[in-house]
Amino acid sequence: MSLPNEDNMASQLSSHFFGDLLDSIIVDVASECHRIARLGLDRNLEDEEEELRLSAQARVRVADPSNSGEANSKYVVDIFGQSHPSVASEVFECMNCGRSIVAGRFAPHLEKCMGKGRKARPKVTRSSTAAQNRYSRGSPVSTYSPYSNSTSSNRLSNGTSGVAGEEYSNGTFQEP
Amino acid sequence: MSSRNPSYTNPKPCKHLEDYKLRHGLSGYKSIQKHLKATPHGRTSVEMLNAGVPRCNSCNGFQGRLYLCLICNSVSCLDHTLLHTQSEDGHDLAVDIERAELYCCVCCDQVYDPDFDKVVMSKHNMGVPRDDKHGDESIGERLVKRRRLGLGVAEELVDLKKSKQLVSMRDRRDKSCYPLGLRGLNNLGSTCFMNSVLQALLHAPPFRNYFLSEGHNHEACQRRSGDRLYRYSGDCQCIAHRVFSGLLRSDVTCMTCGSTSTTYDPCVDISVDLDTSNFSPTDIVNKRSKPNENSSISTLLGCLDLFTRQEKLGSEQKLFCETCQEMRDSVKQMSIRRLPLVLCLHIKRFEHSPVRKMSRKIDRYLQFPFSLDMTPYLSSSIVRNRFGNRIFSVEGDESDIITDFEIFAVVTHSGTLESGHYVTYLRLRNRWYKCDDAWITEVDEEIVRASQCYMMFYVQKMLYQKADEDLSSLPLSPRRDAYLPIAGCCERLFK
Repeated sequence: MSLPNEDNMASQLSSHFFGDLLDSIIVDVASECHRIARLGLDRNLEDEEEELRLSAQARVRVADPSNSGEANSKYVVDIFGQSHPSVASEVFECMNCGRSIVAGRFAPHLEKCMGKGRKARPKVTRSSTAAQNRYSRGSPVSTYSPYSNSTSSNRLSNGTSGVAGEEYSNGTFQEP
Repeated sequence: MSSRNPSYTNPKPCKHLEDYKLRHGLSGYKSIQKHLKATPHGRTSVEMLNAGVPRCNSCNGFQGRLYLCLICNSVSCLDHTLLHTQSEDGHDLAVDIERAELYCCVCCDQVYDPDFDKVVMSKHNMGVPRDDKHGDESIGERLVKRRRLGLGVAEELVDLKKSKQLVSMRDRRDKSCYPLGLRGLNNLGSTCFMNSVLQALLHAPPFRNYFLSEGHNHEACQRRSGDRLYRYSGDCQCIAHRVFSGLLRSDVTCMTCGSTSTTYDPCVDISVDLDTSNFSPTDIVNKRSKPNENSSISTLLGCLDLFTRQEKLGSEQKLFCETCQEMRDSVKQMSIRRLPLVLCLHIKRFEHSPVRKMSRKIDRYLQFPFSLDMTPYLSSSIVRNRFGNRIFSVEGDESDIITDFEIFAVVTHSGTLESGHYVTYLRLRNRWYKCDDAWITEVDEEIVRASQCYMMFYVQKMLYQKADEDLSSLPLSPRRDAYLPIAGCCERLFK
């Protein structure tokens, strides 16, 4: 068992050392900040704080239910006069297979149509072969493709309707 | 607007420092040079080689800060520096032994001298860039060239008002209350992800201007032909890279000897982790004593700080140090060597847990500024900071680097990983528009500030301001009919 005096001294010493270490760290930080400030390297705190304030304010206002929020119900029409919800209901022709597709279902259609799915229908029209030639050769488009009917009949899958009769587009190259 | 400071300023020396320099020049600094000790952490201290613990000449104390007189090398503690000055005429300047900082004993203040800092920096190994793909040309030269090219492109893209192809579009609408060029995009079946990004790209000023001013030759475009020659995007000069490509610098420092290995990698966007620190600047400003889940906030600047922070590589990631010739613990630090014209910041909100084999989305709110100053994240700032912010020229210190950015698009995601929805907010003529696929509405700025951001698009301020002016007279391609119908929304527009 150590004497109470020794305990006192030990804790005094450790406090002393701790104080020294703490002082050293504080002066370190002060010296670093002093340099940053004197050399003009400190970030523009005012601007930063302003942005923070604006964001905090915005969050409060938006969260407040009494404010006319941007809930969809506020707007009956958008800036173009459309009424919400706007479902992409336009119908157009798929440039790959020529079918009439509803816009809102075009992405899944294209997935299958362009060869990803089981029912892939790589439709070969004059325009699409011309496109393929262009990509593979890197040369300008020629309207008359040497690979017309013979390959197309090989590549057609089991004769789904709507494809067979449309092998020749009328010559104008469609840009996808 | 705040006055921007140049990358570093030489502060005016105090009278005593001036006098000292006049009388002694650099001799004091040079004599100290051999006593300067550099640590691998970028710090410098003074080590008097005659061993023993340095003690104050006056009181023999060894605790607290000690200062070494530059003229007579005597050591004083803080209490007795003034005493030394009074007893020895002209012995005003000393060096803080622990930090190698100049101290004026008469002013009782830390002072700065570029010549002294230069001497200090001579003890540090700044590292050599490792990426030497281009052989003879030094990386400095290459980067300067590229920067000039980048700036040239920006000016060319911005200078469209002088272009003869500019056609001022006669506004047929009764009330021209919204900017031209703003259109919705139909959702073609879960394509909101694509629509959101397209909206941002379409409204990136340099990108948009390029395509609208016939800059793009569709036939000759190398991208379309599948010609993959330009893999290294640093060389690619296509419009996408000219606008979005920046350069990231990665420094790996050996913790034993301090030598650094540097590599440069091009990037077209920067992905950052969410900053989930417990303390926020607002806590400190508002004098909150305890970190509180509710009061701490994540900020974009915090994320960028995290991105450029020195990161200790784990002990299983030891790297081979050329100097030590051994595997050593290392520290890695990222910084931005060259900023692009359009800065695309991506927040990693999707967290993958390899342990649980699960992914989840982090919905935490992230504060982001509308005006962004990227100076602190430049390589020159980061590297300089690593060595104690000494007054010293660091690679990439060109004072004409543009670092002020303005936001013009925010892509937000709502929902979960499995099912969610992307929406883009666009800033046109300082008004914000919410682009939810084909549904476009004007919204308050506050809605945008309070939104959960996922990707932020910033453009160099100068280009942003020009773009604002350009919006009133939009360039049109002479080939195309101005009223080409786009499915759905334009028929009503052009009635």
